[in-house]
Amino acid sequence: MATLLDVKGLKTEFHTQDGVVHAVNGVSFSVDEGETLGLVGESGCGKSVSVLSVMRLIPQPPGKIAAGQVLFQGRDLLKVDDEEIRSVRGNKIAMVFQDPMTSLNPVLTIGTQIGEALELHLGMTKEQARKRSVELLKMVGIPEAENRLDDYPHQFSGGMRQRVMIAMALSCSPQLLIADEPTTALDVTIQAQIVDIVKRLKSELGMAIIWITHDLGVIAGIADRINVMYAGFVIETAPVKEIFANPLHPYTLGLLASIPRLDASRKSKLTPIDGLPPDLIEMPKGCPFYDRCTYRTERCANENPALELAAVRHSVACWNWQDVQKMRGAVLSKVV
Amino acid sequence: MNQTAFLPAPGVRPSYSPSMQLARRIMRNLPALLGAAVIFWMIVVAILAPVIARYPYDQTDLNAVEQAPSAQHWFGTDALGRDMFSRVVWGARSAVFVIVMVTVVDLALGLPLGAMAGYFGGWIDTLVMRVADILFAFPGLLFVFFIAATIKPGILAWAKSVGLGDLARSGYLDYAVVIIALGVVGWAGLARLVRAQVLTIKEREYVISAHAIGVPTWKVIFRHVLPNSIAPIVVALSMGMGDIALSEGYLSFLGIGLQPPAPSWGNILADNAGRYWRTFPQMIWLVLIPGLVLAAVVFAFNFLGDGLNEALNPEIST
Repeated sequence: MATLLDVKGLKTEFHTQDGVVHAVNGVSFSVDEGETLGLVGESGCGKSVSVLSVMRLIPQPPGKIAAGQVLFQGRDLLKVDDEEIRSVRGNKIAMVFQDPMTSLNPVLTIGTQIGEALELHLGMTKEQARKRSVELLKMVGIPEAENRLDDYPHQFSGGMRQRVMIAMALSCSPQLLIADEPTTALDVTIQAQIVDIVKRLKSELGMAIIWITHDLGVIAGIADRINVMYAGFVIETAPVKEIFANPLHPYTLGLLASIPRLDASRKSKLTPIDGLPPDLIEMPKGCPFYDRCTYRTERCANENPALELAAVRHSVACWNWQDVQKMRGAVLSKVV
Repeated sequence: MNQTAFLPAPGVRPSYSPSMQLARRIMRNLPALLGAAVIFWMIVVAILAPVIARYPYDQTDLNAVEQAPSAQHWFGTDALGRDMFSRVVWGARSAVFVIVMVTVVDLALGLPLGAMAGYFGGWIDTLVMRVADILFAFPGLLFVFFIAATIKPGILAWAKSVGLGDLARSGYLDYAVVIIALGVVGWAGLARLVRAQVLTIKEREYVISAHAIGVPTWKVIFRHVLPNSIAPIVVALSMGMGDIALSEGYLSFLGIGLQPPAPSWGNILADNAGRYWRTFPQMIWLVLIPGLVLAAVVFAFNFLGDGLNEALNPEIST
């Protein structure tokens, strides 16, 4: 399938009073048309910053996209002028944010907010936008859509607001939907509903999705491929089944081992990853995971590994992935 | 078998817009409601002044000087036989005109400058805020007096040079003097407030979200940032209008604002207080009435401002 988005060597940093925060350090990934890519990693690992950089939504200053290319349908979004990037935002690439309680403007009605993108990008009149908004709200499963159009955000529950956000994002039929932890702020039953809605709409509309999450359970059901990020690097990328069956990076292994399981014995404890991610202001010169890794060698302290192909469509950034593959048995047996 | 008697199906719950909610909260707040009533009354009187006033504000009648309140002259007459009721009524028009115009000047300068300073930061922020600091460095009224007392010759010369000599002599230019003096000083406080609001609102997720659907920057500012910053601005404007009314009173009282015979509560006060203070309490109503009217208006704006503050920020209700 054709490549829709191709990010090459993206580097984003924030210039703060304490120094330069290296949030994203040369990240490369691509998304095919109609593909769902999962971006996984813990807080502060650069998931959100990389997709915000793709949309050029990093506040500048203090943020700065220091290097890289963001090729969307062959065009470098980092080089186009402001007007052109605005015609892409919301139109070809749309975004759903993490917290539905704060992502809607409290003083405008839902109808006005959904209509905004329609009027802006598709040149609809207020009447047309209203009609289309009702369709969109029905599409995401909001009952009595006609009546709710004139309601304000505070009159909706969290799950309903996230549906509204999805309706807004899909209003112009984007080719790429970026979902930045869209279920994190919701409770589990609502999470499942939102995931189902997105899956259904994807099969109806056929857009590509970048789904950011730190919840491997959510991503397992929705993604085609997964990028695992750590300290601003992509450290492993593979198709979703491969990641769960054959994790090669010690960090991925640690993430899988720390998922709570319903069928585990009641006495067994969760296995956390000890330690903290590195300080993004003073990045270590070796592997960023060195301090927390149980498979580390001397080489890891001095040289940062690049992604290398380990299996079909499966790359990993670890000097010792072959050893990990041999020794991980005990950990993996607990996971699968 | 009897059919169960169901209640009628539930209707659609009415949805209250923020402005309706605001109106409801003001209605429940007695001082604010009183304030709003006084202000509404003042505006009606100002608009209908030629109908309500029973004599021209500058018509003298030397056969009827220094009269006590009566059926012909409700508030009495002054030393030149001018009808005090008519002068106070026309004074409302002066006050409303000055309040509205100064507020317009404050908004026209303070809103865009403050919004730009807060939103874009950088050199615009530095420039706007340093100019505001300079204005703040002077004691407020002193600076207003200084401007009002010094710009008049300039405005006169300008008016004559563009062929408005008649206008210059007619006294209308005094309004310009008062409006410019109060406006030049007044916008800085508003700009600071707007900037502080914009600084906090621009980081909100819905603002980023607006950018993410491709809304142009100016539209983000005017549609998403400013409407969410409006609450403290409305409160400050309401309180500020009371201050403007009072400042116009000061200026006219001191003789650097509106000049007699132009009707201003300030110069009516000055005129009569200067003439009758030795013989207190003779003709006391000539001083008391314009003073009470001015005080009522200032209180009204402050009560309304307080009410708006509580209505717009229910969490701080006292």
